[in-house]
Amino acid sequence: MMSKTYKMNKIISCIFYLLILTIKLARTTSETFTEELLIKPLYSEQLYAHFQFTTKWDVDPSTENFNHTRIFPRALGELLKRYNIQELHVSLTGGLWRYENWGYPVTDAAPGAEVWAWFKRDTPDVDQNWKRLANSLSGLLCASLNFVDSSNSISPEFTFQPRGVTNLSSINNKYLRYASLPREVVCTENLTPWKKLLPCGSKSGLASLLNSGYIHNTRYHSVALHLRPVCRDDSCESLALELQQSVSLVYDYLILGSRNWSLRKLFGQGVAKSCPLASRSEIFVDTTVSSTHSFELNPPPDEVVTSIRGGHESTFAKYKESQSIAVLSPPPLHANQYLTGYGQERGGIVTKIFNNHWGNLDVVLLQNIPWYVPVYLHTLKVVTNGVENNPVALRYIPGRQRERAYYLEVLLKLPPKSTTAVSIDFDYVFLKWQEYPPDANHGFYIGSAVVSTNLPLARNFTGLPQDGSTLADSFNASRSGYLVQVRTEIMVITLPTPDFSMPYNVICLACTVVALAFGPLHNITTRRLTLKPKPSEKLFVKLKRGLTEFLQK
Amino acid sequence: MLFLKALTSYILISFLINLCQAQSINFPKGGQTNNWAVLVDTSRFWFNYRHVANVLSIYRSVKRLGIPDSQIILMIADDMACNPRNPRPATVFNNANQHINVYGDDVEVDYRGYEVTVENFVRLLTGRLPPGTPRSKQLLTDEGSNVLVYLTGHGGDGFLKFQDSEEITSQEMADALEQMWQKQRYHETFFMIDTCQAASMYERFYSPNILAVGSSLVGEDSLSHHVDPAIGVYIIDRYTYYALEFLENVDRQSNKTMGEFLQVCPKSVCISTVGVRRDLFKRNPDYVPITDFFGSVRPVSLLTEVKIQPLTSKRQEAKESNQSKTINKYRYVPPLVNFNTVITPRIGTQ
Repeated sequence: MMSKTYKMNKIISCIFYLLILTIKLARTTSETFTEELLIKPLYSEQLYAHFQFTTKWDVDPSTENFNHTRIFPRALGELLKRYNIQELHVSLTGGLWRYENWGYPVTDAAPGAEVWAWFKRDTPDVDQNWKRLANSLSGLLCASLNFVDSSNSISPEFTFQPRGVTNLSSINNKYLRYASLPREVVCTENLTPWKKLLPCGSKSGLASLLNSGYIHNTRYHSVALHLRPVCRDDSCESLALELQQSVSLVYDYLILGSRNWSLRKLFGQGVAKSCPLASRSEIFVDTTVSSTHSFELNPPPDEVVTSIRGGHESTFAKYKESQSIAVLSPPPLHANQYLTGYGQERGGIVTKIFNNHWGNLDVVLLQNIPWYVPVYLHTLKVVTNGVENNPVALRYIPGRQRERAYYLEVLLKLPPKSTTAVSIDFDYVFLKWQEYPPDANHGFYIGSAVVSTNLPLARNFTGLPQDGSTLADSFNASRSGYLVQVRTEIMVITLPTPDFSMPYNVICLACTVVALAFGPLHNITTRRLTLKPKPSEKLFVKLKRGLTEFLQK
Repeated sequence: MLFLKALTSYILISFLINLCQAQSINFPKGGQTNNWAVLVDTSRFWFNYRHVANVLSIYRSVKRLGIPDSQIILMIADDMACNPRNPRPATVFNNANQHINVYGDDVEVDYRGYEVTVENFVRLLTGRLPPGTPRSKQLLTDEGSNVLVYLTGHGGDGFLKFQDSEEITSQEMADALEQMWQKQRYHETFFMIDTCQAASMYERFYSPNILAVGSSLVGEDSLSHHVDPAIGVYIIDRYTYYALEFLENVDRQSNKTMGEFLQVCPKSVCISTVGVRRDLFKRNPDYVPITDFFGSVRPVSLLTEVKIQPLTSKRQEAKESNQSKTINKYRYVPPLVNFNTVITPRIGTQ
């Protein structure tokens, strides 16, 4: 996508690049690429497949100029350099992850497009860089991310902390931007450029399983890019750059036709050849579920890995080329969001957060509300099991029409086994005539709320630890907390939409009125009717008439 | 002596002429050095599935015939392939028998959904895009570019509707092309349009080197080909259906001409009369290979001498200078704030 010029000196450049490649190989810049696939039969009627492609490059992102790369995609490196980015997270998702039934995914993603980025401290104009970054990403991923600008972006203080490493003593959310486009559709046109960022492309390795016809015939599909600086070694004194590319798919047994699955049935083909650039290509199948829904694996796995993590034991069948996970009971935290009210004057947004855990949970709720949904902070109510619950802290920046979105972040302590409803009221507003989209009657979208917490238990949890890059890093990775960021449903509201054909109708009606009423009225009122005496005829005329009358007889 | 001098100079001159001729063969004829395609579907909503199938048919053909994705600007106003109403996700077919999946497995859409507007289209053609526009959304043509412009949607006498909410007039279209010509943004243009009263869209053209074809004359409707019961709507339009049928039999080495392409849809199958405008085009379409517009020129020249310059590694220098600096200690930030340390509730405004 990025390289466009085809000129006469193509061959020169070819030779030139070959040369650079050999030089680079000779120099020791360590780049590792791993590809993994996790297949996890869910306790519900679904099957979860997660592809994780990780590129780790031992290079300091602040000094690297990204002129030459080997495995790492240069297009992304250039973005990093040009827009002064510390870390970048992009996801494009079709469908909604059903936390209540499916547990937690490896990476959370909101329906539609979601982008968030941390910029470096020395960025002079974060808003401009953010806008340009969104533009570049729209070209890179063929998505309408260019609609992201400061009017629909927010800088949350708590929810999106940097995932990578930093040497700064404090974190300033001035350098963070978050935006979501809930309307964005995801299809082959997004997957195609995404696959081109992989070192082996789509022809070999696990990426060859990503066939658009099969992966879009699912309940949920999500394509994501996560770019962040990580520690190069345990001492953590130098940086490395890590790129995680992931694809999450949820297949429905109803669509598949049976509960028996195979790689061919899921993806249309098997893995023909491995990616020679990958240091590790592994498929993991979560067999924890087989204790209740028994199943057999054929061919038998090379190794069975048992992972005990935060008090939850799961078993994984490990295939050398290539493990799975399930939901025993509802996950500790899940959330829903819905609209209340009727008519087109006033409405409300309610976010329900369920804590099924036996202990307290500290939860951060983030709402990014577009400027055309003006909310009223005084109507904010937090009710837990029928009792008002005072938030620990509250951050709110009111929106400004056409300039800034409404930002609301609420820190809550949820008592054990509770249901909390956070509600806020809003007004419906009229937009300017030109601001309505071509399909205004379809409605306007409000993005999903993000509910974040550190779970004390890893039940139903498949996410990667913060210091880990691959799925293999998540086995036996017991930590003090497991971060989940639950995304709620997106909502569609019908703003009062004017009748766009009204001006035309008015012109037609006015013209008819003018034609029918004005004309005769004008005639009557401006003309004077007077009697006109008949002039006496001359002799010649008399004779002529007499003659014609005679002739006609 | 004089005779000998004349002979040697004659040999020298003829040799030089030969050399020049031999060299000129390497260059494409007529000043064309590259190919670009601007393919636009202007219709939103599911019942306009056929317009997306139309534009993807042409996209498939130009891509197959060698124009790279970086030189194709594809504008699609709505998502049909992954539309929930599509019973076969990630596919768009050219007929009810699912003969060709025109959407394919490798597609890059440059402008989609709400981005397909008259403003963006005219800005793209004339190159007056806002700063920060990615390369894939720019028409980077020059005076050696042959540009294929294909439009499909709902139109009328002298206009083409965009997204059912705005329209481009034939005069605006003609002015945009004239601006392209003045800015040396094309060498030759092939303008194709599949819409009702298509001929009205090219009537006002006044810039040179444009060959235009429309699926119907003024006063005529362009008709769709057939219904696919599985999707419940018309699947493709007649003119593009037959154009695709013709293009499927064309390969990169093909000798087929533009003249033949202009006759792909006689009135007996198209029902509407295909209109052609040749007066602005200097060449005779019967002698213009179809690959001049649907294929791609890829000039390749062999080099015998390659000069290799030693590379200086800036990174290593940077590394060395870094090592001399004080050692940084990096850390991971806790992903979630500790609630006990959070500051008293406050409401901040910026």
